[in-house]
Amino acid sequence: MENYVIEMLNITKRFPGIIANDNITLQLRKGEIHALLGENGAGKSTLMSVLFGLYQAEEGEIRKNGQRVDIRDPNDANALGIGMVHQHFKLVENFTVLENIILGVEPNKMGFINKNVAREKVMEISQKYGLSINPDALIEDITVGMQQRVEILKMLYRDNEILIFDEPTAVLTPQEITELLQIMRGFANEGKSILFITHKLNEIMEVADRCSVLRKGKYIGTVDIKDTSKEALSKMMVGRDITFKVEKKEMEAGDVVLSVRNLSVFSTLHKKDAVKNVSFDIRSGEIVCLAGIDGNGQSEFVYALTGLEKSTSGSIHLCGQDITKASIRQRSIAGLSHIPEDRHKHGLVLDYKLDENLVLQRYWQNDFQNRGFIKFDAVREYADYLIDKYDIRSSQGAETIVRSMSGGNQQKAIIGREIDKDHQLLVAVQPTRGLDVGAIEYIHSQLVAMRDSGKAVFLVSFELDEVMNLSDRILVMYEGEIVGEFKPKETNVQELGLYMSGAKRDTAKENVHGRE
Amino acid sequence: MKRFLALTLAMIMVAVSLIGCTSPEAPAGEQKPATEGEAPANTGGGSADGFEIALITDKGNIDDKSFNQGSWEGVVEFAEAEGISHQYIKPEEASDTGYLAAIDLAVDGGAKVVVTPGFLFEVAVYEAQTKYPDVKFILLDGTPHTADYSTFETKENVASILYSEEQSGYLAGNAAVKDGMTKLGFMGGMAVPAVQAFGYGYLQGAEDAAAELGLADGSIEVTYHYTGNFEENDTNKATAKTMYQEGTEVIFACGGSVGKSVMSAANESDAKVIGVDVDQRYDSETVITSATKGLAASVIQVLESIYNTDSWDNFGGKTTYFNAENDGVGLPTIVIGDEGADAFDRFEQYTMEQYEETYAQLVDGSIEVIRSIDVADTTGYATAEELTDQLGLKKVVVTTRQ
Amino acid sequence: MEGNNSPSKNKFNINQFLKKIGFGSFVSALMAIILGLVFGYLVMLIANPNSATAGFRYILFGGLQRKGDVFYFATPIIMTGLSVGFAMKMGLFNIGASGQYTMGMFFALYVGFMWDLPDGIHWIVAILAGMIGGIIWGLIPGVFKALLNVNEVITSIMFNYIGMFLVDMLIQGNGTMYDPIRTRTNYLPGSSLIPSLGITGSNVNFGIVFAVIIGVILFIILQKTTFGYELKATGHNKFASEYAGMKGKTNIILTMAIAGALSGFGGAFAILSPSGIAGSSMTYEPINIISQAGFNGIAVALLGNSHPIGTIFSAIFISHIQRGGTLTSLVGYKPEIIDVVIAVIIYFSSFSMIMSSYLGKFLTRIIKHTDKDDNSNNAKEA
Repeated sequence: MENYVIEMLNITKRFPGIIANDNITLQLRKGEIHALLGENGAGKSTLMSVLFGLYQAEEGEIRKNGQRVDIRDPNDANALGIGMVHQHFKLVENFTVLENIILGVEPNKMGFINKNVAREKVMEISQKYGLSINPDALIEDITVGMQQRVEILKMLYRDNEILIFDEPTAVLTPQEITELLQIMRGFANEGKSILFITHKLNEIMEVADRCSVLRKGKYIGTVDIKDTSKEALSKMMVGRDITFKVEKKEMEAGDVVLSVRNLSVFSTLHKKDAVKNVSFDIRSGEIVCLAGIDGNGQSEFVYALTGLEKSTSGSIHLCGQDITKASIRQRSIAGLSHIPEDRHKHGLVLDYKLDENLVLQRYWQNDFQNRGFIKFDAVREYADYLIDKYDIRSSQGAETIVRSMSGGNQQKAIIGREIDKDHQLLVAVQPTRGLDVGAIEYIHSQLVAMRDSGKAVFLVSFELDEVMNLSDRILVMYEGEIVGEFKPKETNVQELGLYMSGAKRDTAKENVHGRE
Repeated sequence: MKRFLALTLAMIMVAVSLIGCTSPEAPAGEQKPATEGEAPANTGGGSADGFEIALITDKGNIDDKSFNQGSWEGVVEFAEAEGISHQYIKPEEASDTGYLAAIDLAVDGGAKVVVTPGFLFEVAVYEAQTKYPDVKFILLDGTPHTADYSTFETKENVASILYSEEQSGYLAGNAAVKDGMTKLGFMGGMAVPAVQAFGYGYLQGAEDAAAELGLADGSIEVTYHYTGNFEENDTNKATAKTMYQEGTEVIFACGGSVGKSVMSAANESDAKVIGVDVDQRYDSETVITSATKGLAASVIQVLESIYNTDSWDNFGGKTTYFNAENDGVGLPTIVIGDEGADAFDRFEQYTMEQYEETYAQLVDGSIEVIRSIDVADTTGYATAEELTDQLGLKKVVVTTRQ
Repeated sequence: MEGNNSPSKNKFNINQFLKKIGFGSFVSALMAIILGLVFGYLVMLIANPNSATAGFRYILFGGLQRKGDVFYFATPIIMTGLSVGFAMKMGLFNIGASGQYTMGMFFALYVGFMWDLPDGIHWIVAILAGMIGGIIWGLIPGVFKALLNVNEVITSIMFNYIGMFLVDMLIQGNGTMYDPIRTRTNYLPGSSLIPSLGITGSNVNFGIVFAVIIGVILFIILQKTTFGYELKATGHNKFASEYAGMKGKTNIILTMAIAGALSGFGGAFAILSPSGIAGSSMTYEPINIISQAGFNGIAVALLGNSHPIGTIFSAIFISHIQRGGTLTSLVGYKPEIIDVVIAVIIYFSSFSMIMSSYLGKFLTRIIKHTDKDDNSNNAKEA
């Protein structure tokens, strides 16, 4: 019998109406990086929450070094040396790095925090693992990558031996990802054991020793990375073969559909211009991607483009029509479809039924209303048509309250609605965020189909793989400016990463923007 | 939603009927509808016996320091002494039908005597006196009439009680002058009969006190004013303040909420106020005394006539003025909640003895107070001349103020 | 409860039943009301233990003998409840129902006194005038909210005061309307009063019929029209409604105007009620007090979950226990105690709606647990 540092044996966790973990076994060796792979909703997060004490499993047991343990809350987990970097950081924004690291385990003398002791220990750890930080910086002032380091240091400061990383690379640039993976490797070499939750196969192939795969709450199997391939893993994850490369024809660009000139957008939140003097065109039959790290003005740009926010200067023309000051409805009529970044905030009325959501952009058209009264038969008919055409799955069909639907199907509903609506330009912001491989594949194929039918597609994405795969042209946005324009065949992820992080910018563009 | 609400209500009914049925005290057969005119069944408790004397509250609560409270105190005092069950009922809405419905409820509850404090009950009592010929009504400060004032009729089962406000005003004016004040003020609300009577009495009381003290003619100055409303408002307060600034020492505030304006002005001017209707000393430190109507006393007397002396005929079917003779008016002589306290403590000189002396003169008829005079103006505002001539003022100089 | 001897069969039925009617909201509403009644009963027990059961029975059933009055007193709170609930559907909190109600009263009174119109038309015009008064008083906070982004709660509260003082002032300044001796309005001319439904001993009138019709119309607007679709969408998720290009500002103004109209109707229905006594009518007393009807409307709307039909039922329910409560005087309860009991019942009933989700979850869990036990038992048997 092998010695495992952590064993989760036959774990079953139910939620009302769903079995999130069905008899799952996960065994972690000392000093290994163990990837946990699965689509969204496969039960990865639930399983880790059970391990971290956030949920109690109904069946099964957890063992540490062969001894059965009871983990009732995160404090228990911590006492057992289990630490976790959450997908959404749990940091106090207006505390310093040091204060955040020692939060909850402050060394104190008679109730007074002894920060010097803490500082020494933090600096020591930080040097040992090459995690350089400024202990006195405020969290709100440092980058996302740095914040992640703080989270990692928190675990190390507590002398955790078992480290859980929940989708740690989602928010990082390619350079930062490489760095993180190296750090993780270093931990493993130190003898720490790592659980690495992800759905990015490249990273697993690069860093992990073994990989356990979950699918729909069930345990599929554990494989040694050196004996497997990306394709095999993805098949385990999805249950069928997946094509990674999007098939698409050569671009046949037509007339200019969207023309943006010198657009600036002021952010009331940050009290500065979030978008600065942006100009570009999109032609019909073309997918243009806006790449960049989250928070560099992409959202504000899209808001201005779609009418959710006002632009401060510049102009937007759609099919030759000036829509700079047009209302959202007017833009929609002019031919703009919008798959919003946050489908829960903007894209859907979660407490409405599916059919009501499917006409959210069209309920006012004569097809669906007569003298102010909604033609519910027509709405239902149209909804059934979309549900069928875009394979939107739900428990009660058109009657389903959208809140109860899965994220992927919610997104399909939005995409179906926006694509089916009469339009010339589709603005898609992170259309695949949080979706599983199957859904991503489907959405990508839809976007390409759109392009092939002669529509213009403007895609905003933080996933470089997606950007590289889908686009005909790539614009990189950094701090509200377009700092580079590329053809996907003439560039690579590393180059894009440099532009995205501001390390490099197009000198030609620099000159264009240098007027201000 | 529809379904669930309908069901909800249905379920409540079922649920509560279960609760009701399992309650040993209350067999289901006992549930008699109240509006069928039967007294509710005795469920065992002392207070559940129904009640014989009922008081319907006017707008406002039972502790309104005014008509409700004053008359309820009379009911309680009498009923507790005699061991008669009593209850007050709050109308569901302040309308004639609301009052009438409250009377209906009181009668359903077994009331043989219904006390209705205030003229707002006039119309309701007019209806009720025919509807319930066997129930006796005591209507304070009003006479029954139809809503359009076309018919005034007080049936045999109704005692309409009015008060001799002029005597009350007389006592107030008398007290003020005897306390050493020479500059008095009067602020009436509108010139309705009750307010006019208070005012005329006030002037006569001041005149007689000055004569008694041997003061020279014209030594008492009275500023006489009708506000034209019964409100607490800034105009009234400003008027009062001006009067105080002109040297007025005390204002007899005689018009509902006008009193609050005057008290507020007095507070700021460090001056005095005489209250009205009920003892208003509790409303403000500035109130030295109040020209009251003996609500409790009158209620008790009528109840006495019903229960003890069998002399209802003295009151039933007519309007009775309550005055000094039957304790119907006066200045307050006790402080509520403090038996030993002196109700005259806010005067500088005037005492209870002086008051009782004057009061006795009112009772024995040696002083007669004029209740009404002829006023030319249709608003009822008397001129200084009219007042001086008809009330026979010599010591008192009246200045009217518009 | 009574089916303890055959648990599995019974549970099966309950589950089926609950699924059918929308389990969570139903049970929580039911529990809320029962909880309110239990607390009300406790207060009655404390106040007067001997009569508590008899008194409580009046509260529960007394209204059944006073159906006319139940509907009569329900009328204004149906309207203010609809007003609050309708705005709530849009995500607006119309705490200004009182002011709109008072304005409605004033406009109705004004037409009643000052316009000489023929019988059969006069009262209709007066009702419509009340509606207009309410619209004006709802519209202004709506405009402030839509154009200047001033929180409607603040404006509405201010407008409660402004409306009340304004109406008091206007009435006192009007010699035809105001009776200074009685410090209230005169009796309205008979032609301006809403026809009675002719139930003896009650003033119940066509106002309740209109209130129910209006409630049904609102229900249709909310459920069947594009406006209702937009309104609810905005209430559920204003970002999504903005994204969908709905005219948020126009809709805010429109919603507040409609809410105002509803309260205005309420004021008109209340003040134009006919009187069982010839020549009499309702009167308005300008005593600088904000009308309670608007605040009661909030409780009504909460209890009715802002649903128009639900609001009608909840107003009738509240009126029902109030009418029954009045009857408890017969067994010796003082009006003040009854006010407390009624308030406790309404308060718990409405307030518990907020806790409904918790309660619903709690009960679901209990039932799930028992189900699971059953299943495992069955499994063992198998």
